[in-house]
Amino acid sequence: MENVISFKNFYFAYSKSGLVLKDINLNIKKGSFTVVIGPSGAGKTTLCKAITAIVPFYMGGSYAGEVQVLGESTKGKRVSDLALKVGLMLEDYESQLVSLTAGEEVAFSLQNHGFPPEETQERVQKALAEVGLPGRESYQLDELSGGQRQRLLLATIMAVHPEIIVLDEPVSAMDPEGAEELYALLAKIHQDFGTTIIVVEHRVEFVLPYMTDIIAVKEGQIVAAGTCEDVVEKIYTEPGLQVLLPELWQVKCSLQARYGEHLSLWRKLSEAADELRVKGFKGGEEA
Amino acid sequence: MIEAKDINFAYRRGVPVLKDIECTIKDGEFVALLGHNGSGKTTLSRLFMALDHPRSGQILIDGKDIVNLEPADLADKIGYVFQNPDLQILADTVFDEVAYGPRAKKLTEANVKTQVEAALAAMGLSSLAGGYPRVLSFGQKRRLGVAAALALNPRTLILDEITNGQDAAEQTRMMEYLKAINEERGVTIILITHDMGIVRRYAKRTLVLTDGELVFDGTPQDLFEGGEHLEAWGLRRPVVSALGANFGVSAATVDELCAHLVKGDECDEDD
Repeated sequence: MENVISFKNFYFAYSKSGLVLKDINLNIKKGSFTVVIGPSGAGKTTLCKAITAIVPFYMGGSYAGEVQVLGESTKGKRVSDLALKVGLMLEDYESQLVSLTAGEEVAFSLQNHGFPPEETQERVQKALAEVGLPGRESYQLDELSGGQRQRLLLATIMAVHPEIIVLDEPVSAMDPEGAEELYALLAKIHQDFGTTIIVVEHRVEFVLPYMTDIIAVKEGQIVAAGTCEDVVEKIYTEPGLQVLLPELWQVKCSLQARYGEHLSLWRKLSEAADELRVKGFKGGEEA
Repeated sequence: MIEAKDINFAYRRGVPVLKDIECTIKDGEFVALLGHNGSGKTTLSRLFMALDHPRSGQILIDGKDIVNLEPADLADKIGYVFQNPDLQILADTVFDEVAYGPRAKKLTEANVKTQVEAALAAMGLSSLAGGYPRVLSFGQKRRLGVAAALALNPRTLILDEITNGQDAAEQTRMMEYLKAINEERGVTIILITHDMGIVRRYAKRTLVLTDGELVFDGTPQDLFEGGEHLEAWGLRRPVVSALGANFGVSAATVDELCAHLVKGDECDEDD
Protein backbone atom coordinates (compact mmCIF):
# COMPACT_ATOMS: atom_id res chain seq x y z
CA MET A 1 0.00 0.00 0.00
CA GLU A 2 1.10 3.53 -0.74
CA ASN A 3 2.69 5.49 2.11
CA VAL A 4 1.66 9.12 2.63
CA ILE A 5 4.22 9.76 5.35
CA SER A 6 7.67 8.28 5.82
CA PHE A 7 10.17 9.03 8.55
CA LYS A 8 13.74 8.01 7.75
CA ASN A 9 16.27 7.91 10.60
CA PHE A 10 14.67 11.05 11.99
CA TYR A 11 16.09 12.63 15.16
CA PHE A 12 14.92 15.85 16.77
CA ALA A 13 15.77 18.00 19.80
CA TYR A 14 14.19 21.33 20.79
CA SER A 15 16.72 24.10 21.38
CA LYS A 16 16.96 23.48 25.13
CA SER A 17 15.95 19.82 25.39
CA GLY A 18 17.61 16.48 24.97
CA LEU A 19 16.56 14.27 22.06
CA VAL A 20 12.76 14.20 21.86
CA LEU A 21 12.61 11.84 18.88
CA LYS A 22 15.29 9.23 18.32
CA ASP A 23 15.93 7.35 15.10
CA ILE A 24 12.34 7.31 13.94
CA ASN A 25 11.68 5.00 11.00
CA LEU A 26 8.02 4.89 10.24
CA ASN A 27 5.54 4.63 7.37
CA ILE A 28 1.92 5.74 7.53
CA LYS A 29 -0.31 4.23 4.88
CA LYS A 30 -2.62 6.20 2.62
CA GLY A 31 -6.21 6.00 3.81
CA SER A 32 -5.34 4.60 7.23
CA PHE A 33 -6.96 5.74 10.49
CA THR A 34 -3.84 5.72 12.64
CA VAL A 35 -3.84 6.24 16.39
CA VAL A 36 -0.68 7.34 18.19
CA ILE A 37 -0.41 6.23 21.81
CA GLY A 38 2.32 6.64 24.40
CA PRO A 39 2.93 8.04 27.90
CA SER A 40 3.01 11.84 28.34
CA GLY A 41 6.30 13.28 27.23
CA ALA A 42 6.99 10.36 24.88
CA GLY A 43 7.18 12.63 21.84
CA LYS A 44 3.68 12.11 20.36
CA THR A 45 2.92 15.80 19.82
CA THR A 46 6.39 16.42 18.39
CA LEU A 47 5.79 13.56 15.96
CA CYS A 48 2.58 15.30 14.77
CA LYS A 49 4.41 18.57 14.41
CA ALA A 50 7.10 16.87 12.33
CA ILE A 51 4.42 15.66 9.91
CA THR A 52 3.18 19.22 9.41
CA ALA A 53 6.69 20.74 9.21
CA ILE A 54 6.08 22.85 12.33
CA VAL A 55 9.02 20.85 13.62
CA PRO A 56 11.70 21.79 12.94
CA PHE A 57 11.11 24.87 10.77
CA TYR A 58 8.92 26.83 13.13
CA MET A 59 10.06 25.52 16.52
CA GLY A 60 13.80 25.63 15.84
CA GLY A 61 16.00 23.01 17.45
CA SER A 62 18.16 20.50 15.64
CA TYR A 63 17.39 17.43 13.61
CA ALA A 64 18.82 14.66 11.50
CA GLY A 65 17.27 12.36 8.94
CA GLU A 66 14.13 13.32 7.07
CA VAL A 67 10.37 13.21 6.90
CA GLN A 68 8.57 12.73 3.61
CA VAL A 69 4.98 13.85 3.20
CA LEU A 70 3.23 12.64 0.04
CA GLY A 71 6.57 11.72 -1.45
CA GLU A 72 8.30 15.04 -0.80
CA SER A 73 10.81 15.83 1.90
CA THR A 74 9.73 18.47 4.43
CA LYS A 75 13.31 19.76 4.32
CA GLY A 76 13.27 23.48 3.55
CA LYS A 77 9.45 23.56 3.42
CA ARG A 78 7.43 26.14 5.31
CA VAL A 79 4.30 25.23 7.23
CA SER A 80 2.19 27.03 4.62
CA ASP A 81 3.67 24.90 1.81
CA LEU A 82 2.13 21.83 3.41
CA ALA A 83 -1.07 23.38 4.75
CA LEU A 84 -3.09 22.47 1.65
CA LYS A 85 -2.13 18.82 2.03
CA VAL A 86 -1.98 18.33 5.78
CA GLY A 87 -4.48 19.77 8.26
CA LEU A 88 -3.59 19.98 11.95
CA MET A 89 -5.76 20.35 15.04
CA LEU A 90 -3.75 21.04 18.18
CA GLU A 91 -4.76 19.94 21.67
CA ASP A 92 -5.05 23.60 22.57
CA TYR A 93 -7.34 24.18 19.58
CA GLU A 94 -8.65 27.54 20.81
CA SER A 95 -5.25 29.01 20.02
CA GLN A 96 -5.81 28.21 16.34
CA LEU A 97 -8.99 30.31 16.01
CA VAL A 98 -8.31 33.86 14.85
CA SER A 99 -11.48 35.43 13.43
CA LEU A 100 -14.66 37.09 14.65
CA THR A 101 -17.24 34.94 12.88
CA ALA A 102 -17.47 31.29 11.88
CA GLY A 103 -17.60 32.14 8.17
CA GLU A 104 -14.50 34.36 8.36
CA GLU A 105 -12.68 31.67 10.28
CA VAL A 106 -13.21 29.05 7.56
CA ALA A 107 -12.50 31.57 4.78
CA PHE A 108 -9.27 32.75 6.41
CA SER A 109 -6.97 29.99 5.18
CA LEU A 110 -8.68 29.81 1.78
CA GLN A 111 -8.11 33.54 1.23
CA ASN A 112 -4.50 33.22 2.35
CA HIS A 113 -4.00 30.53 -0.27
CA GLY A 114 -5.51 32.77 -2.96
CA PHE A 115 -8.80 30.97 -3.68
CA PRO A 116 -11.22 33.20 -5.66
CA PRO A 117 -14.12 34.72 -3.66
CA GLU A 118 -16.92 32.59 -5.22
CA GLU A 119 -15.06 29.36 -4.62
CA THR A 120 -14.16 30.47 -1.10
CA GLN A 121 -17.80 31.10 -0.31
CA GLU A 122 -18.83 27.76 -1.75
CA ARG A 123 -16.19 25.86 0.20
CA VAL A 124 -17.02 27.67 3.44
CA GLN A 125 -20.67 26.74 3.08
CA LYS A 126 -19.89 23.12 2.31
CA ALA A 127 -17.30 22.69 5.07
CA LEU A 128 -19.62 24.13 7.73
CA ALA A 129 -22.35 21.75 6.61
CA GLU A 130 -19.97 18.79 6.70
CA VAL A 131 -19.12 19.37 10.36
CA GLY A 132 -22.73 19.87 11.39
CA LEU A 133 -22.71 23.68 11.54
CA PRO A 134 -24.74 24.52 8.42
CA GLY A 135 -25.68 28.16 7.95
CA ARG A 136 -23.65 29.39 10.92
CA GLU A 137 -21.44 31.70 8.80
CA SER A 138 -22.48 34.84 10.69
CA TYR A 139 -22.21 33.36 14.20
CA GLN A 140 -19.67 35.05 16.44
CA LEU A 141 -17.14 32.62 17.87
CA ASP A 142 -18.27 33.24 21.44
CA GLU A 143 -21.80 32.22 20.50
CA LEU A 144 -20.51 28.72 19.82
CA SER A 145 -19.88 26.16 22.55
CA GLY A 146 -16.44 24.63 23.05
CA GLY A 147 -17.43 21.53 21.09
CA GLN A 148 -18.85 23.65 18.28
CA ARG A 149 -15.68 25.75 18.11
CA GLN A 150 -13.73 22.54 17.79
CA ARG A 151 -15.95 21.41 14.90
CA LEU A 152 -15.48 24.86 13.36
CA LEU A 153 -11.73 24.32 13.41
CA LEU A 154 -12.31 20.98 11.70
CA ALA A 155 -14.31 22.87 9.03
CA THR A 156 -11.38 25.23 8.42
CA ILE A 157 -9.24 22.14 7.88
CA MET A 158 -11.82 20.40 5.67
CA ALA A 159 -12.31 23.48 3.50
CA VAL A 160 -8.90 23.13 1.88
CA HIS A 161 -9.52 19.41 1.16
CA PRO A 162 -6.32 18.08 2.75
CA GLU A 163 -5.20 14.52 2.05
CA ILE A 164 -4.08 14.07 5.64
CA ILE A 165 -5.64 15.33 8.88
CA VAL A 166 -3.59 15.22 12.10
CA LEU A 167 -5.32 15.72 15.46
CA ASP A 168 -3.71 15.98 18.90
CA GLU A 169 -6.09 14.76 21.62
CA PRO A 170 -9.21 16.21 20.03
CA VAL A 171 -11.68 14.98 22.67
CA SER A 172 -9.74 15.57 25.88
CA ALA A 173 -12.26 18.12 27.19
CA MET A 174 -15.42 16.57 25.74
CA ASP A 175 -18.19 14.64 27.40
CA PRO A 176 -18.70 11.07 26.16
CA GLU A 177 -21.48 12.09 23.78
CA GLY A 178 -19.39 14.89 22.24
CA ALA A 179 -16.40 12.56 21.91
CA GLU A 180 -18.49 9.91 20.13
CA GLU A 181 -19.91 12.57 17.78
CA LEU A 182 -16.52 13.98 16.86
CA TYR A 183 -15.11 10.54 16.07
CA ALA A 184 -18.21 9.55 14.10
CA LEU A 185 -17.65 12.72 12.05
CA LEU A 186 -13.97 11.91 11.50
CA ALA A 187 -14.88 8.35 10.52
CA LYS A 188 -17.32 9.74 7.94
CA ILE A 189 -14.65 12.07 6.52
CA HIS A 190 -12.25 9.13 6.46
CA GLN A 191 -14.72 6.99 4.59
CA ASP A 192 -16.24 9.56 2.21
CA PHE A 193 -13.03 11.27 1.12
CA GLY A 194 -10.40 8.59 1.79
CA THR A 195 -8.58 11.10 3.98
CA THR A 196 -5.72 9.69 6.01
CA ILE A 197 -6.43 10.39 9.68
CA ILE A 198 -3.67 10.48 12.29
CA VAL A 199 -4.74 11.09 15.86
CA VAL A 200 -2.96 11.23 19.21
CA GLU A 201 -5.39 9.90 21.79
CA HIS A 202 -5.41 8.90 25.47
CA ARG A 203 -9.14 8.15 25.52
CA VAL A 204 -8.79 5.31 23.05
CA GLU A 205 -12.20 3.78 23.73
CA PHE A 206 -13.80 6.44 21.52
CA VAL A 207 -11.62 5.68 18.51
CA LEU A 208 -11.74 1.90 18.96
CA PRO A 209 -14.47 1.27 16.34
CA TYR A 210 -12.56 3.12 13.61
CA MET A 211 -8.80 2.73 14.09
CA THR A 212 -6.92 0.67 11.51
CA ASP A 213 -3.34 1.20 12.68
CA ILE A 214 -1.49 1.97 15.90
CA ILE A 215 1.82 3.66 16.56
CA ALA A 216 3.15 3.22 20.11
CA VAL A 217 5.78 5.74 21.19
CA LYS A 218 7.89 5.60 24.32
CA GLU A 219 10.80 7.83 25.33
CA GLY A 220 11.10 9.27 21.84
CA GLN A 221 11.23 5.95 20.07
CA ILE A 222 8.74 3.81 18.16
CA VAL A 223 7.96 0.66 20.13
CA ALA A 224 5.47 -0.78 17.67
CA ALA A 225 3.74 0.39 14.50
CA GLY A 226 1.37 -1.42 12.17
CA THR A 227 -2.18 -2.65 11.84
CA CYS A 228 -4.05 -3.20 15.10
CA GLU A 229 -4.13 -6.95 14.42
CA ASP A 230 -0.34 -7.06 14.08
CA VAL A 231 0.76 -4.94 17.03
CA VAL A 232 -1.78 -5.09 19.88
CA GLU A 233 -0.27 -8.14 21.53
CA LYS A 234 3.24 -6.74 21.36
CA ILE A 235 2.08 -3.45 22.91
CA TYR A 236 0.32 -5.38 25.67
CA THR A 237 3.64 -6.90 26.76
CA GLU A 238 5.42 -3.52 26.96
CA PRO A 239 5.68 -2.15 30.50
CA GLY A 240 3.83 1.15 30.78
CA LEU A 241 2.05 0.78 27.43
CA GLN A 242 -0.41 -1.96 28.34
CA VAL A 243 -2.69 0.49 30.15
CA LEU A 244 -2.82 2.77 27.11
CA LEU A 245 -4.67 0.16 25.03
CA PRO A 246 -8.48 0.20 24.93
CA GLU A 247 -9.82 -1.64 27.99
CA LEU A 248 -11.61 -4.18 25.80
CA TRP A 249 -8.28 -5.17 24.28
CA GLN A 250 -6.66 -5.33 27.71
CA VAL A 251 -9.39 -7.79 28.70
CA LYS A 252 -8.79 -9.79 25.51
CA CYS A 253 -5.02 -9.98 26.06
CA SER A 254 -5.37 -10.76 29.76
CA LEU A 255 -7.85 -13.60 29.19
CA GLN A 256 -5.73 -14.97 26.33
CA ALA A 257 -2.71 -15.05 28.61
CA ARG A 258 -4.72 -16.73 31.35
CA TYR A 259 -6.49 -19.37 29.27
CA GLY A 260 -4.26 -19.68 26.20
CA GLU A 261 -7.27 -19.31 23.91
CA HIS A 262 -7.22 -16.86 21.01
CA LEU A 263 -9.90 -14.16 21.13
CA SER A 264 -10.89 -11.71 18.37
CA LEU A 265 -9.93 -8.05 18.29
CA TRP A 266 -13.28 -6.72 19.46
CA ARG A 267 -14.45 -3.35 18.20
CA LYS A 268 -17.64 -3.23 20.23
CA LEU A 269 -18.68 -4.33 23.67
CA SER A 270 -21.40 -6.56 22.24
CA GLU A 271 -18.82 -8.45 20.14
CA ALA A 272 -16.78 -9.14 23.29
CA ALA A 273 -19.80 -10.28 25.29
CA ASP A 274 -20.99 -12.57 22.44
CA GLU A 275 -17.64 -14.25 21.85
CA LEU A 276 -16.92 -14.74 25.55
CA ARG A 277 -20.34 -16.29 26.02
CA VAL A 278 -19.90 -18.61 23.01
CA LYS A 279 -16.48 -19.67 24.30
CA GLY A 280 -18.00 -20.64 27.64
CA PHE A 281 -16.88 -17.79 29.88
CA LYS A 282 -19.06 -16.96 32.83
CA GLY A 283 -18.97 -15.00 36.05
CA GLY A 284 -17.44 -16.74 39.05
CA GLU A 285 -14.51 -16.87 41.42
CA GLU A 286 -10.97 -17.26 40.19
CA ALA A 287 -9.95 -20.88 39.80
CA MET B 1 -19.54 20.75 55.04
CA ILE B 2 -21.02 22.40 51.95
CA GLU B 3 -24.77 22.90 51.70
CA ALA B 4 -26.64 24.14 48.63
CA LYS B 5 -30.09 25.37 49.57
CA ASP B 6 -32.55 25.73 46.72
CA ILE B 7 -30.00 27.27 44.36
CA ASN B 8 -30.98 29.02 41.16
CA PHE B 9 -28.45 30.60 38.88
CA ALA B 10 -28.26 32.28 35.47
CA TYR B 11 -25.49 34.14 33.67
CA ARG B 12 -26.21 37.59 32.24
CA ARG B 13 -28.30 36.35 29.28
CA GLY B 14 -30.79 35.08 31.82
CA VAL B 15 -30.98 31.46 30.65
CA PRO B 16 -31.31 29.33 33.80
CA VAL B 17 -28.11 27.33 34.33
CA LEU B 18 -28.93 25.82 37.73
CA LYS B 19 -32.49 25.06 38.85
CA ASP B 20 -33.54 24.43 42.46
CA ILE B 21 -30.37 22.60 43.45
CA GLU B 22 -30.53 21.09 46.92
CA CYS B 23 -27.60 19.02 48.21
CA THR B 24 -25.19 18.58 51.10
CA ILE B 25 -21.60 17.44 50.85
CA LYS B 26 -20.24 16.31 54.21
CA ASP B 27 -16.64 16.43 55.38
CA GLY B 28 -14.54 13.54 54.13
CA GLU B 29 -16.74 12.60 51.18
CA PHE B 30 -15.39 11.67 47.73
CA VAL B 31 -17.95 13.03 45.30
CA ALA B 32 -17.98 12.99 41.50
CA LEU B 33 -19.97 15.76 39.85
CA LEU B 34 -21.16 14.49 36.46
CA GLY B 35 -23.19 15.60 33.47
CA HIS B 36 -22.89 16.50 29.79
CA ASN B 37 -20.98 19.59 28.60
CA GLY B 38 -23.04 22.62 29.59
CA SER B 39 -25.04 20.79 32.28
CA GLY B 40 -23.97 23.21 35.04
CA LYS B 41 -21.20 21.22 36.79
CA THR B 42 -18.55 23.89 36.65
CA THR B 43 -21.06 26.62 37.49
CA LEU B 44 -22.21 24.79 40.62
CA SER B 45 -18.62 24.25 41.74
CA ARG B 46 -17.89 27.96 41.18
CA LEU B 47 -20.72 28.84 43.56
CA PHE B 48 -19.06 26.63 46.22
CA MET B 49 -15.99 28.85 45.88
CA ALA B 50 -17.94 32.15 45.77
CA LEU B 51 -16.59 32.82 42.27
CA ASP B 52 -20.24 33.49 41.38
CA HIS B 53 -23.29 33.94 43.56
CA PRO B 54 -26.71 32.32 43.17
CA ARG B 55 -29.65 34.42 41.92
CA SER B 56 -31.69 32.83 44.69
CA GLY B 57 -30.98 30.32 47.43
CA GLN B 58 -28.01 30.00 49.71
CA ILE B 59 -24.63 28.27 49.90
CA LEU B 60 -23.55 27.39 53.44
CA ILE B 61 -19.97 26.46 54.29
CA ASP B 62 -19.74 24.79 57.71
CA GLY B 63 -23.14 26.31 58.46
CA LYS B 64 -22.19 29.88 57.53
CA ASP B 65 -23.58 31.73 54.54
CA ILE B 66 -20.78 31.92 51.98
CA VAL B 67 -21.44 35.64 51.36
CA ASN B 68 -20.32 36.35 54.94
CA LEU B 69 -17.01 34.55 54.59
CA GLU B 70 -13.78 36.43 53.93
CA PRO B 71 -12.03 35.23 50.75
CA ALA B 72 -8.99 34.24 52.83
CA ASP B 73 -11.12 32.11 55.18
CA LEU B 74 -12.77 30.45 52.23
CA ALA B 75 -9.37 29.74 50.65
CA ASP B 76 -8.32 27.99 53.86
CA LYS B 77 -11.30 25.69 53.62
CA ILE B 78 -11.58 25.04 49.90
CA GLY B 79 -8.96 24.62 47.18
CA TYR B 80 -10.17 25.01 43.60
CA VAL B 81 -8.41 23.79 40.47
CA PHE B 82 -9.68 25.33 37.25
CA GLN B 83 -10.43 23.38 34.11
CA ASN B 84 -8.19 25.70 32.11
CA PRO B 85 -4.82 25.66 33.89
CA ASP B 86 -3.63 28.82 32.14
CA LEU B 87 -6.18 30.83 34.12
CA GLN B 88 -4.37 30.34 37.39
CA ILE B 89 -0.71 30.60 36.50
CA LEU B 90 0.86 33.70 38.07
CA ALA B 91 4.52 33.13 38.77
CA ASP B 92 7.74 32.71 36.80
CA THR B 93 8.86 29.36 38.15
CA VAL B 94 6.99 26.19 39.00
CA PHE B 95 8.23 26.45 42.60
CA ASP B 96 7.08 30.07 43.00
CA GLU B 97 3.75 29.23 41.44
CA VAL B 98 3.04 26.62 44.10
CA ALA B 99 4.57 28.84 46.81
CA TYR B 100 2.27 31.75 45.97
CA GLY B 101 -0.55 30.68 48.29
CA PRO B 102 1.58 29.63 51.27
CA ARG B 103 3.56 32.90 50.99
CA ALA B 104 0.34 34.91 50.85
CA LYS B 105 -0.59 33.21 54.12
CA LYS B 106 2.69 34.57 55.55
CA LEU B 107 4.15 31.16 56.35
CA THR B 108 7.87 31.14 57.13
CA GLU B 109 10.01 30.44 54.08
CA ALA B 110 11.08 27.13 55.66
CA ASN B 111 7.46 26.03 55.97
CA VAL B 112 6.71 27.25 52.47
CA LYS B 113 9.57 25.14 51.17
CA THR B 114 8.36 22.01 52.96
CA GLN B 115 4.78 22.37 51.75
CA VAL B 116 5.72 23.24 48.18
CA GLU B 117 8.17 20.38 47.90
CA ALA B 118 5.61 17.91 49.23
CA ALA B 119 2.96 19.17 46.79
CA LEU B 120 5.33 19.05 43.82
CA ALA B 121 6.43 15.54 44.73
CA ALA B 122 2.81 14.40 45.04
CA MET B 123 2.12 15.59 41.50
CA GLY B 124 5.39 14.31 40.03
CA LEU B 125 6.72 17.79 39.29
CA SER B 126 9.80 17.93 41.56
CA SER B 127 12.25 17.80 38.67
CA LEU B 128 10.55 20.81 37.05
CA ALA B 129 10.62 23.07 40.16
CA GLY B 130 12.95 25.63 38.52
CA GLY B 131 11.13 25.60 35.17
CA TYR B 132 8.95 28.29 33.58
CA PRO B 133 5.30 27.28 34.09
CA ARG B 134 3.95 28.53 30.76
CA VAL B 135 6.11 26.18 28.69
CA LEU B 136 4.93 23.05 30.51
CA SER B 137 2.75 20.59 28.61
CA PHE B 138 -1.00 20.82 29.06
CA GLY B 139 -1.03 17.80 31.36
CA GLN B 140 1.85 19.15 33.44
CA LYS B 141 0.09 22.51 33.83
CA ARG B 142 -2.98 20.71 35.14
CA ARG B 143 -0.86 18.90 37.72
CA LEU B 144 0.75 22.22 38.61
CA GLY B 145 -2.72 23.59 39.38
CA VAL B 146 -3.42 20.66 41.67
CA ALA B 147 -0.04 21.07 43.40
CA ALA B 148 -0.78 24.77 44.04
CA ALA B 149 -4.07 23.83 45.67
CA LEU B 150 -2.48 21.01 47.71
CA ALA B 151 0.23 23.30 49.09
CA LEU B 152 -2.43 25.17 51.08
CA ASN B 153 -3.63 21.97 52.78
CA PRO B 154 -7.32 22.77 52.20
CA ARG B 155 -9.98 20.60 53.84
CA THR B 156 -11.92 20.41 50.58
CA LEU B 157 -10.57 20.17 47.05
CA ILE B 158 -12.68 20.95 44.00
CA LEU B 159 -11.00 19.59 40.89
CA ASP B 160 -12.39 20.45 37.45
CA GLU B 161 -11.32 17.96 34.75
CA ILE B 162 -7.85 17.48 36.14
CA THR B 163 -7.25 14.11 34.50
CA ASN B 164 -7.64 15.46 30.94
CA GLY B 165 -4.46 15.19 28.94
CA GLN B 166 -2.83 12.88 31.49
CA ASP B 167 -1.75 9.44 30.38
CA ALA B 168 -3.08 6.39 32.19
CA ALA B 169 -0.09 6.07 34.53
CA GLU B 170 -0.24 9.73 35.61
CA GLN B 171 -4.00 9.57 36.03
CA THR B 172 -3.63 6.60 38.31
CA ARG B 173 -0.92 8.27 40.36
CA MET B 174 -2.93 11.48 40.78
CA MET B 175 -6.09 9.60 41.70
CA GLU B 176 -4.30 7.29 44.15
CA TYR B 177 -2.86 10.36 45.86
CA LEU B 178 -6.29 12.00 46.13
CA LYS B 179 -7.70 8.73 47.44
CA ALA B 180 -4.98 8.60 50.10
CA ILE B 181 -5.53 12.17 51.36
CA ASN B 182 -9.26 11.52 51.35
CA GLU B 183 -8.96 8.34 53.39
CA GLU B 184 -6.04 9.24 55.66
CA ARG B 185 -6.59 12.95 56.26
CA GLY B 186 -10.31 13.17 55.59
CA VAL B 187 -9.91 15.76 52.84
CA THR B 188 -13.21 16.20 50.99
CA ILE B 189 -12.82 15.65 47.25
CA ILE B 190 -15.24 17.03 44.67
CA LEU B 191 -14.21 15.78 41.25
CA ILE B 192 -15.68 17.03 37.99
CA THR B 193 -14.90 14.56 35.25
CA HIS B 194 -16.07 12.88 32.04
CA ASP B 195 -14.04 9.75 32.72
CA MET B 196 -16.53 7.16 33.91
CA GLY B 197 -13.80 4.61 34.64
CA ILE B 198 -12.29 6.97 37.22
CA VAL B 199 -15.70 7.62 38.75
CA ARG B 200 -16.33 3.90 39.11
CA ARG B 201 -12.92 3.27 40.66
CA TYR B 202 -12.62 6.22 43.05
CA ALA B 203 -15.83 8.08 43.80
CA LYS B 204 -18.04 7.07 46.72
CA ARG B 205 -20.95 9.23 45.65
CA THR B 206 -22.08 10.67 42.33
CA LEU B 207 -24.17 13.75 41.64
CA VAL B 208 -25.53 14.03 38.09
CA LEU B 209 -26.65 17.33 36.58
CA THR B 210 -28.71 17.55 33.41
CA ASP B 211 -29.67 20.96 32.01
CA GLY B 212 -29.11 22.52 35.42
CA GLU B 213 -31.15 20.03 37.41
CA LEU B 214 -29.82 17.55 39.92
CA VAL B 215 -31.21 14.27 38.57
CA PHE B 216 -29.23 11.64 40.47
CA ASP B 217 -27.56 11.36 43.87
CA GLY B 218 -26.17 7.95 44.78
CA THR B 219 -23.27 5.51 44.57
CA PRO B 220 -21.35 4.87 41.34
CA GLN B 221 -22.53 1.22 41.41
CA ASP B 222 -26.16 2.28 41.51
CA LEU B 223 -25.55 4.85 38.80
CA PHE B 224 -23.82 2.49 36.37
CA GLU B 225 -25.63 -0.72 37.17
CA GLY B 226 -29.12 0.64 37.55
CA GLY B 227 -29.32 3.65 35.31
CA GLU B 228 -31.47 3.32 32.25
CA HIS B 229 -31.25 7.12 32.03
CA LEU B 230 -27.45 7.13 31.68
CA GLU B 231 -27.42 7.80 27.93
CA ALA B 232 -30.02 10.56 28.19
CA TRP B 233 -27.84 12.23 30.82
CA GLY B 234 -24.91 12.16 28.36
CA LEU B 235 -23.07 9.57 30.47
CA ARG B 236 -21.80 6.13 29.52
CA ARG B 237 -21.18 3.01 31.53
CA PRO B 238 -17.48 2.33 32.00
CA VAL B 239 -16.52 -0.43 29.53
CA VAL B 240 -15.38 -2.81 32.25
CA SER B 241 -18.61 -2.45 34.27
CA ALA B 242 -20.73 -2.86 31.16
CA LEU B 243 -18.93 -6.00 29.99
CA GLY B 244 -18.98 -7.42 33.53
CA ALA B 245 -22.72 -6.84 33.78
CA ASN B 246 -23.22 -9.31 30.91
CA PHE B 247 -21.78 -12.02 33.17
CA GLY B 248 -23.17 -10.86 36.50
CA VAL B 249 -19.75 -9.54 37.54
CA SER B 250 -19.42 -6.18 39.31
CA ALA B 251 -15.95 -4.93 38.38
CA ALA B 252 -14.19 -1.56 38.41
CA THR B 253 -10.90 -2.55 36.75
CA VAL B 254 -9.70 -4.85 33.97
CA ASP B 255 -7.93 -7.04 36.54
CA GLU B 256 -11.04 -7.40 38.68
CA LEU B 257 -13.12 -8.32 35.66
CA CYS B 258 -10.63 -10.87 34.35
CA ALA B 259 -10.27 -12.46 37.79
CA HIS B 260 -14.02 -13.09 37.85
CA LEU B 261 -14.48 -14.31 34.29
CA VAL B 262 -13.90 -18.05 34.24
CA LYS B 263 -14.18 -20.63 31.52
CA GLY B 264 -17.41 -22.51 32.05
CA ASP B 265 -16.14 -26.05 31.47
CA GLU B 266 -13.60 -25.66 34.29
CA CYS B 267 -16.45 -25.03 36.71
CA ASP B 268 -18.62 -27.72 35.17
CA GLU B 269 -16.01 -30.37 35.92
CA ASP B 270 -16.60 -29.76 39.60
CA ASP B 271 -20.35 -30.22 39.30
